[in-house]
Amino acid sequence: MEIPYIVKARKDTGLTNSKIAIWLFLASEVMLFGGFFSAYVFMRIGADYPWPERTLPVLPGLINTFILIASSVTVVFAWAALKLRKWRQFQIFMGATVLCAAIFMCLKAVEYNVKFHHQAVRLNDYSIIEGHLDYKKDKDKNYIKKDGKKIEYNLINIKAESVIFSTVRFHKPWVEQILEQAEEQGSKMVLTEPYQGADGRADAKTTYVEAGTELSLDLLLKIREQHLKARAHNQKLRADALRCAWQIAKDANPGKRGWEISDQVGVDAEKLKPDMLTEMGAISFKIDSAAKLSFKPKNIKEADGQSRLRDDTVIKGKLLESPMKFHHVDAIDFQYLAMKAVQKGIDPMVAIENSWIIQNADFAKEAWEWHCEEVEKLEKELAKQDREPTLKDRYRIGWKEFSKKAEQEGMTDMGDWTILEEFKGPNYAARGEETFPHLAVPRGEIAFASKFVPQWNTYYAIYFTITGLHGLHVIGGALVLGYYLFFGRRMYETNPEWLANRVEVGGLFWHFVDLIWIFAFPIFYLM
Amino acid sequence: MADSPEAIRKSIRKYLIVGGILFLGTVLTVLVATVPALDIGRHGFDVYDCVLGLAIASTKAGFVAVVFMHLNDEKKAIYWIFGGALVFGAFLYLLTAWAKSDLIHDPLFYGDSKPNIKLGH
Repeated sequence: MEIPYIVKARKDTGLTNSKIAIWLFLASEVMLFGGFFSAYVFMRIGADYPWPERTLPVLPGLINTFILIASSVTVVFAWAALKLRKWRQFQIFMGATVLCAAIFMCLKAVEYNVKFHHQAVRLNDYSIIEGHLDYKKDKDKNYIKKDGKKIEYNLINIKAESVIFSTVRFHKPWVEQILEQAEEQGSKMVLTEPYQGADGRADAKTTYVEAGTELSLDLLLKIREQHLKARAHNQKLRADALRCAWQIAKDANPGKRGWEISDQVGVDAEKLKPDMLTEMGAISFKIDSAAKLSFKPKNIKEADGQSRLRDDTVIKGKLLESPMKFHHVDAIDFQYLAMKAVQKGIDPMVAIENSWIIQNADFAKEAWEWHCEEVEKLEKELAKQDREPTLKDRYRIGWKEFSKKAEQEGMTDMGDWTILEEFKGPNYAARGEETFPHLAVPRGEIAFASKFVPQWNTYYAIYFTITGLHGLHVIGGALVLGYYLFFGRRMYETNPEWLANRVEVGGLFWHFVDLIWIFAFPIFYLM
Repeated sequence: MADSPEAIRKSIRKYLIVGGILFLGTVLTVLVATVPALDIGRHGFDVYDCVLGLAIASTKAGFVAVVFMHLNDEKKAIYWIFGGALVFGAFLYLLTAWAKSDLIHDPLFYGDSKPNIKLGH
């Protein structure tokens, strides 16, 4: 089918159909992004925590803005080149546009990646610690310190006495992990009670698995199979009985509607019992000598006495010390704590001095004392202009402050941060443990922990929503423009004006993508 | 919109100038946000910085829309479509802003007897 009015304009509108269509699409996009920016405004106004002002590194955002502006210029040049029937120039400018899109997305990927690996923890006293948890693995999968000593990864440790698996939901790799850990410690995991049940005759019981049988993946699979078989059998039995009961009720009350006789329909569970097979929804294994089992924090909801894995496996036993170990702490933020203290009528400085981290980590105490002196200097400086430090100046010690402190004390001689650090965050290896020290935070002190992802706070939620959606638009736009670049030659030779119109429409979308970023950049990076 | 080869050749210079303005506008936005000497209002971010930042961004967006998207020389239908979306979007925003101060649990709504609802704060 031929699409009408794609080269010549319609008489009534004076426009090609494709142009009308793209503007209608852009109108809907205005409302879509407008809705998200409105959400940003309301979240910021209504935030019940100190909004992270100017928290993102400016340089990557600035470079990305330059790239998008440059691509807007090159795409309009590409269109002009087509209009002037200069194919080679069109190729160059369109190629530059697609390249700009690729660079933009690469920088965005680096930015996202840094956030996905940056850990934040809010303690019970509302102080916030930021840094990195991960240790580098060596060849033997051990986690090692710089001095070569093996150290433990961030894990939840339990002195397990028994484990109850959900017959249907158990996750195979976790079963293998539990088995491996128990085996390493010479512990055996055996079935607590036999899995036996009726097999259709009232007084007879079949033993499917003997008590004392050792745990293995095959055993769990066998139990699952038997359980599912029994469940299907029982379901059929119940459904048949119910169907039969409905039939009897209908025969006894001819002409009556279902809802009028529903109270007469019932199944006698006792009568069915002899024919039912035994289902085993969960199966328990005891550990002969209690073994220390360790799990990744994201996989377990830990509690003293009984913890639960995400696949519903229950681990019974004492919760051992499982501190969250920061490989490097790169920021301490007391803004939230100060806000809460003021709300309760407490002097924020007193609250900070009594916070867990100041009381328990010497480096934090030192850093805070150093920071207070710096704030004092800033206060004097700003007082000359009749100004005051911001909350962030007063209560946040960021990685640049940690670096400055180390530099002043002669611990590192890196001086100002490098351009690479603006993209990837602090260079721990070069600046060392003296600048960004280790810290172990007891689990009991942690109120909430997360990477810098949408769940951390509403700022990151809306940041990822808007920039992620914008990124998808960049990819979509680049694909369309790339199509014209690589597959447009034939159309150029047969109907160049049609291609020019297509490029104009694609270009309009591309300018809109630039337009969104023009607002997103200052809002997220500078405000 | 420039359609003849002559008009397009003339526009190229205009596109370059607008590109330059957009670059300069971006640099200016970053400078007013990061250089203390250029910081207006209170120290750090405040409402003046917000207004200034958004004003520069709006000017840049205006240049993109008017010159790159050719809104300076378009047909009426386009103005209606795009302008309509902007006005409708702004209206929806204002509607939400207005509703924000409209309490869901207005205590007086229930008369003298207090509702048995805990707001959680």
